[in-house]
Amino acid sequence: MSSIILEARDIRYRYPRGMEAIGGISFHIRRREKIALVGPNGAGKSTLLSMFNGMIRPDSGIMFFDNQPIQYDNKSLRILRKRVGFVLQNPDRQIIAPTVYQDVAFGPTNLRYTENEVKNAVTLALQQVGLDGFERRPPHQLSSGEKKRVAIAGVLAMDPDMLVFDEPTSGLDPAGSEDIMELLDELNNEGKTVIISTHDVELAYPWADRAILMLKGEILREDIPEVAFGNPEFVRKAHLSIPTLLELHMELEKRGLPLQGKKPRTVLDMMHSIEMMFENTCCHIRPGMITVCNVDQESRDYLSTWLSRQPGISVGAMGTRAKQCAENSQIRLDFTYGVIDKCILKALLGEDSLIMTTESMVQRVNQRVEAYGKESGIHITVSLLEAVIFPDNRGPGGHI
Amino acid sequence: MFEELLEDIAQKNGLREVNTYLKLITGLGAILLCLISTSYIPPLFIALVLTGAILFLARVDAKTYAELFIVPIWFAVMSVAGIILISGGHDIFWRWDILPSFSLSITRESINQGMFVFFRVIGGMSAVCFISLTTPMTDIFTVFRQCRVPEIVLDLMMIIYRTIFIILDQVLQIYNAQVMRLGYSTWHESIHSFSSLCGAAFIASWNSGEDLIRAMDARCYDGKFAIMGETRPVEYIPLVALCAFLSISFTVVIFSEGITLM
Repeated sequence: MSSIILEARDIRYRYPRGMEAIGGISFHIRRREKIALVGPNGAGKSTLLSMFNGMIRPDSGIMFFDNQPIQYDNKSLRILRKRVGFVLQNPDRQIIAPTVYQDVAFGPTNLRYTENEVKNAVTLALQQVGLDGFERRPPHQLSSGEKKRVAIAGVLAMDPDMLVFDEPTSGLDPAGSEDIMELLDELNNEGKTVIISTHDVELAYPWADRAILMLKGEILREDIPEVAFGNPEFVRKAHLSIPTLLELHMELEKRGLPLQGKKPRTVLDMMHSIEMMFENTCCHIRPGMITVCNVDQESRDYLSTWLSRQPGISVGAMGTRAKQCAENSQIRLDFTYGVIDKCILKALLGEDSLIMTTESMVQRVNQRVEAYGKESGIHITVSLLEAVIFPDNRGPGGHI
Repeated sequence: MFEELLEDIAQKNGLREVNTYLKLITGLGAILLCLISTSYIPPLFIALVLTGAILFLARVDAKTYAELFIVPIWFAVMSVAGIILISGGHDIFWRWDILPSFSLSITRESINQGMFVFFRVIGGMSAVCFISLTTPMTDIFTVFRQCRVPEIVLDLMMIIYRTIFIILDQVLQIYNAQVMRLGYSTWHESIHSFSSLCGAAFIASWNSGEDLIRAMDARCYDGKFAIMGETRPVEYIPLVALCAFLSISFTVVIFSEGITLM
C-alpha cells in the first residue's frame, strides 16, 4: 500500500516572540511506513511532531491527514487525536491517572466507549505492550521502561492509525530500547504507521523505512536510511554520526574490497557481504534449521519436552507475549531482539534455533528468511513447531 | 520517602486481594469499638489482633510496622504522663505541692485514666495502620466513587495523588543537588537553599500542570476520568473473619465494662 496518510505542504511555525521553529517544510508519509525523524537538539523535531495531532497549529501551510486538510475546531481535533496517537518523551508527563488501568482507560472513556468496550480496549492494549496484570499498579512504582509501555498502551487503547513517538528510547537502557523498538516493529506489522523522532542513529538506521534528517527547522535530507545516513556531509551538518555498520562498509569499500550487494543495515547483511568476498565458503557448512513456535497455539508442555530433546539449541523470542510465555515456562532466551537475523546468523554457522513468537509474526519470519534466501542464494529451512512430527528425526536443512 | 513507602507496602501486602469494604469496616469498626469501650482491655485486645493480622496476614515487615509507632507512642507517652500527673484522685501514691494552689500527684485513678488513654491510642493507631497498610489509596478511590463522592472532587483527588509522587520526586532531586553542592552546610545557607527549593518546586508544579493539560488534550479529554475496573468480590473466609473479629471485640467491650488496671 502506498496511499498517503499524512502530508505537509510548506508549513511554517514561529514560537510566540521567538525564533522560527519550522521554516517551510513539505513532505508526505505513506500508510504503514516506519519513519525516523532525526536531527540534533533544537532542530524542531518535537514541534513538527506536535503538528501531527494538532497540538500546534502551523502559522502557514497546510497539513493533510488522510487527504483531508486538518481542521482545528474541537470536534475535528478529537477525531484527529483519536486517529493519531502521540506518545510524549517523558512518560511521567503523559500518565495522568493513579493506576495503570485508569490511565490506559483514559482515552477510551473520553471517547465515550461503554464500560465493556473500555475494558476490552484496555486489556488488549496492555496485552500488546506486554503488561497484563499491571492493571492495579500505581505508575510511580513502575520502572522507566514499564512507564513508557503504559504511555504507549494509553495511546494504543484508542486504536489509532498512526503512532507518533517523541524520543521513544530516551532514558531507557540498551536492552529496554531494543525492546521498545521491537514493539514499534510489532505495531507497524499490525498495520500502524509509526513515526519516531530520535537522535540515536544506531537504533533508527536498521529500523526505519525512511529517514528524515532535520536541521534548524528545515529538512536536510529525506531518503532511505542507507542514503540519508550514508552521506558524511549531511551527517556532519546534522550533528549526527554515521552508523557503525555503514561506516565499516564504506571503509572496506575505500580499501578496494569487492563488497557486493546492497549497503548493510544489519550485522546479517554485513556478514553476507563479507562472505560473498570469500566465494562459496559459507556453502561448505550445511545451514542449520530455524523452527518457529507459535506461542498462541502450542502448549507449553509440548514446547518444554521438545526443547529438552534439543540440547544446545538457541532460543529467541519475538514480541512481548512470546517473551512472557518464555518467562512463564522458564525457558532461557538467547536472543530477545533482532531475533530473526540472529537466528539466520546461527543457521549460517550450521546451528539450529527456535523462534518463539505470536500468530501475526510467524509469517514475518518466513518472509524475512525467504528474502534472505533470494538475496544470498542460501536456503534455510523454516518449519513450524507443530509441523515437526518426529522432532528427533529432523531432515537436514536444504540446499540450493 | 516515607509516604511512598507506606503506599508501596499497601500495594503489595498479603491482604491486597481482600475486598476493600471488608478492610475498611475492620479498621473503622475497630476505631469505633476503641472509642465506646470504657476499659483498657478492648483497645488492647483490638491492638493485639490487628497487629497479628498486619504482621502475619498482610505480611508487613515487623521493623517497618514498629517504626510507624515511634512517633505516636512518643506523643502518647507525653500526654499520658501529663494526664497522670495532673488529674486528681483519692488514692494518692505520690504528691508534690509546687505552689499553694497547684500540686502534682500520682493517684490510682489518674494511673487508670492514663493507661486507658494510652491503650486507646495504641488500639486506634493499629486500626489506622491496618487500613493504611492493607488498603492502597487507589482502592479507596473506587470506594469513594461507589459512595457517590462528587466526580469533580474525586477527579481532583486522583490527579493530586498522581502528581504528589511526581513533584515529590522532583523536590527530592533538587534537594539532593543542593546537598551535593553543600547547600545546607550553614544555617544561613540552609535558609537560602530552602527558599530556592520552594521556588523551584512551585515552578516545577506549574509546569507539570501545563503538561498535564496538554497530555489530557492529546488523549481526547472530554471531562471524563476512567473509573477503576472491577472490585474484588466479598469472599466467605474474610467475611467470617471480620464478623468474628467485630463480635468478639464487641463482647470484650461489654464484659470488660468498668474494669480498670489497678
